[in-house]
Amino acid sequence: MIDPINFVVFSSILLLIGAYGVIRNKNAIVVLMSVEIMLTAANVNFIAFSSFYNDLSGQIVALFVTTIAAAEVAIGLAILLSLFKQRDTIELDLLNSLRW
Amino acid sequence: MSNNDNQNSESDLLRFISLSLAASLILFYFSTDGLADDFVSVAWMIPVFPIVSFVAILLFGHMDSRKGGSFALAGIGLSAVFSLAIAYDVLIQNSLHGEYVESTRTWFSGATYSFDFGTYVDALAALLLLVVGLVSYLVIVFSTSYMEEEGDRQVRYFAEISLFVGVMLGLVVANSFLLMFIFWELVGVCSYLLIGFWYEKPSAASAAKKAFLVTRVGDVFLLMGLVILYSTFGTLRYSELFDNPEDLAANATELKWATLCIFGGAVGKSAQFPLHVWLPDAMEGPTTVSALIHAATMVKAGVFLVARAYPLIVHSPDTAIYIAVTGGVTAFIAASMAMVMYDIKRVLAYSTISQLGYMFLALGTGAWAVWHAAENGIEDHAQGYTAGLFHLMNHAFFKALLFLGSGAVIHSVHTQDMREMGGLRKGMPITSAAMGLGVLSIAGVPFFSGFWSKDEILEAVHHNSEAEGIFGILWWLALLTAAMTAFYMTRLWMMTFSGPENRVVEEMVESKDHAETGNWELKSKTIKSHAHEAPLAMTAPLMILASLAVFSGFSLFLGEGFGSRVYYGHHADSESMIQWSILDHILTSSLTYLSVIVGLSGVTLGYLFYKRDSEGQTTFSPAFVESFAVTSYLHVFLSNRLYMSKFFDWFGMRTWDTVARACDWFDIYIIDGIVNGVASASQFFSSQVRKLNSGFTGHYASLTVGGLGALVVITRIIMPFMGWSL
Repeated sequence: MIDPINFVVFSSILLLIGAYGVIRNKNAIVVLMSVEIMLTAANVNFIAFSSFYNDLSGQIVALFVTTIAAAEVAIGLAILLSLFKQRDTIELDLLNSLRW
Repeated sequence: MSNNDNQNSESDLLRFISLSLAASLILFYFSTDGLADDFVSVAWMIPVFPIVSFVAILLFGHMDSRKGGSFALAGIGLSAVFSLAIAYDVLIQNSLHGEYVESTRTWFSGATYSFDFGTYVDALAALLLLVVGLVSYLVIVFSTSYMEEEGDRQVRYFAEISLFVGVMLGLVVANSFLLMFIFWELVGVCSYLLIGFWYEKPSAASAAKKAFLVTRVGDVFLLMGLVILYSTFGTLRYSELFDNPEDLAANATELKWATLCIFGGAVGKSAQFPLHVWLPDAMEGPTTVSALIHAATMVKAGVFLVARAYPLIVHSPDTAIYIAVTGGVTAFIAASMAMVMYDIKRVLAYSTISQLGYMFLALGTGAWAVWHAAENGIEDHAQGYTAGLFHLMNHAFFKALLFLGSGAVIHSVHTQDMREMGGLRKGMPITSAAMGLGVLSIAGVPFFSGFWSKDEILEAVHHNSEAEGIFGILWWLALLTAAMTAFYMTRLWMMTFSGPENRVVEEMVESKDHAETGNWELKSKTIKSHAHEAPLAMTAPLMILASLAVFSGFSLFLGEGFGSRVYYGHHADSESMIQWSILDHILTSSLTYLSVIVGLSGVTLGYLFYKRDSEGQTTFSPAFVESFAVTSYLHVFLSNRLYMSKFFDWFGMRTWDTVARACDWFDIYIIDGIVNGVASASQFFSSQVRKLNSGFTGHYASLTVGGLGALVVITRIIMPFMGWSL
């Protein structure tokens, strides 16, 4: 039995990597990928504690998360496509007209 | 056609006068026949009649052929008849024997207090009823003719004047200070309405405002005095206050302030220094209103108030002296200003102020004498009280006469400037003769009414000066005032009536190019006398008043004498001194001769200075005034009315301006500062906060993560460390 602390530390690292990717990257597609990493970090926790407590609910939730993440990526990529059609770019630093 | 109308209305009026005279005779007949007390017990009806006629005029005045005049004549005539009946009972039949009759009804009551309204009739009230009722009625008769040119506006005039007379009569018969105060304020309102009768004239409107506001200053004091009285004694009813002299004597300090405040009300109402400024301006109203205000209603209320509060004032010598000094000083300065005025009504206005000062001097003197006698256990009586009220009665008659006479003059020559008058004697024989009698009365020429009362006052003041030095000064002031009074009244008559009928006057007028060059040119114009005698409705009241002005003084020793009816305290002379000994006393006293000499020298000087020669000029007086620096400066100083009005304006502007500036500053920097400060602070804060909305996704993400991190740090590290829990 692996100590759950390892899973927690691992998922925390994943989350921080994802967060770093979201904050630092200028490319919208990479940002979407980073968001996926963060969702994966959450899934890791769900599955780890599901097996730790012998409770299937966590795995079911993880499945849901994966499904919704797929839908989200689909919508996100569609937005990025139409954005690219209009603005010829998906650089986030250039897409800052919604501001003060 | 107008002549015919005139005759109609005159015969109508004659019928009315004779009817009311007949009614009064019938009532007199009944009053001697056992109904004596009944008139006193129905005293409440006296103020009700004019107030009812006020309502009737408002509702039906337009239908009346005299535009409400008939209602006013009827209402005030009935009041006059009842007033005369009461005066007859009380002053001639002596039905009250120095006591009072009170009738009350509860007005409203609470757990610990109750107020009632009712009537309180004693000799003082009876005297005032006589004066107010009689003079008001004569003034109304005079007005029906005098105001004829006003057309439909007469409705308003008669309505207001009915209310005026009604509330004044109510003030006289009221049985408590509270009820009196209500009528007091109503008198003020009515005077405001009537002074501003020609409200479209800016000067009339501002004079009305001035009268209202200046008397209001006094009224605030009066109200304060009444509050002090109520909080000290728990009642404002005359009978309850006056019948407990021990209680009064025990609260001398409160009583001092209360009486001083009450006298403050009288100062405002009776136009005493320094609140006298409204009365000369009040001349903007119709002359009949001035006559009413000066002779019967408004200004007499102040004297009445002091006489009514006599049982309170005799316990505080400070107030008594203050009243006497105010009266003496006012009498003097008002007389000095009357000497230089050219407006005939203004001369009379200042003379009223001066004569009212005489009355207050007498009342204050009498109150001090009573206090002094009680303090030292000596035998004395309030001679000043009797003298002051005697003067009030005489003054009412001759001042009403003079005002109505000047009204007839103004009606005839359409100017108020005495410089443009002169030579009216031939055109207006009745008016000039009647006014001549009034002038002789007020000037204190022997055997006219003013002589007796002025002499009584001077004697009362002189009597006091043996015990208190200040009365000696006041006596000199009063004596000087007597001389000035004789002088300026002679001046008034001479400038108005003497001289040729037509004359040429020269006056400085602005030349045509005045706007550019500022040049003046001398222009002479001929004043043709088109003066005509006033109609009977105007001369009849004049003749009645003239006979009263001549003969009312004899009431001092007719019958048992004026002093045996109207007195305060005990009547010392009632048994030992028969009426002829008063006469004997007056005729043998050196003081009498002094005042006679003073009065006659005033008349002589006035004659010498202002008798118009055959050219119509009064050559001596301008030359005299201009020949000495002192007199010319004094003339300017007095003509500007001691600069009092200017000073008040300046003072008012200054103080008010400062207050207004302070308020403005507070408003701009404090009130607006708070509002604007809150607004600009939040604006600045939001302008900083909105910068978070940068448009960069990375910023939003880092804020979210940072916020999450901060939450984690707070809830997981700081809160457990500090021992807090959610």
